Amino acid sequence: MSRTNIYETTFIVNVSLDDAQIGVVTEKVKDFIVKNGGAIRELVQWGRKRFAYPIQNKNNGFYVVIEFSAPTDFIAKLERHYFLEENILRYLTIVLDKKALKARTSAAALLAEQAAAEAAPPAKTEAAVPVKVETPAAPATVAAAAPAPTVESKPVAAKEEDDEDDAT
Amino acid sequence: MAFHRQRPNQRQQNSQLRKKRTCRFCDNKEFYVDYKNEKKLQRFVSEQGRIIPKRITGTCAKHQRMLVIAIKRARHMALLPFVADAVK
Repeated sequence: MSRTNIYETTFIVNVSLDDAQIGVVTEKVKDFIVKNGGAIRELVQWGRKRFAYPIQNKNNGFYVVIEFSAPTDFIAKLERHYFLEENILRYLTIVLDKKALKARTSAAALLAEQAAAEAAPPAKTEAAVPVKVETPAAPATVAAAAPAPTVESKPVAAKEEDDEDDAT
Repeated sequence: MAFHRQRPNQRQQNSQLRKKRTCRFCDNKEFYVDYKNEKKLQRFVSEQGRIIPKRITGTCAKHQRMLVIAIKRARHMALLPFVADAVK
């Protein structure tokens, strides 16, 4: 048994097909991975996206990203499958090394944190609204509490603006 | 000759004026550059679509190597242009 690796493969499906046909193409790839001893870890469909330059006289494509683990000798088969599939315009398969996986998990943790932070303030305000209705004295404390969470997200945005200045 | 003598001085002045650039990836403690994040990569590409050298962006050698691979992968997937439309 050969060594297994974690891979990430992205492919672009011809966008002139309808959604069902695009589904069939991605399903085929999925089946192909599973049948050949691979296991799908994640499947993300970016959907239709404009190209930076035309490919086969087309300006749009349907992007699909699949993360999977598979034996090393499977990649050649997969790329042949892509090559033979007419409706796949482009494909790219990369190995995810330890660094990439680590970056991915930390990014996912960050996203979860952000989502949690975003979810928290609305919950607070929702809780605060009924209080406002019941007792007129409460609004002062609510107003003081509400702006606080928005401050948390601000430094990130400011940092990004700085970055853009440097690039020029 | 006078021209040559002046240049180093000017350069010195410029370097004093210019603030020290640091590697953005090191600052943010990013140890991997993902080709799928085209917005981020766009900062390291000129208007024409060329990769900006690290002496200008201030990226460290290690991250520049990763960045270059990421940009080339993004180009292959048509996320970034090889040559921008304006130049064509």
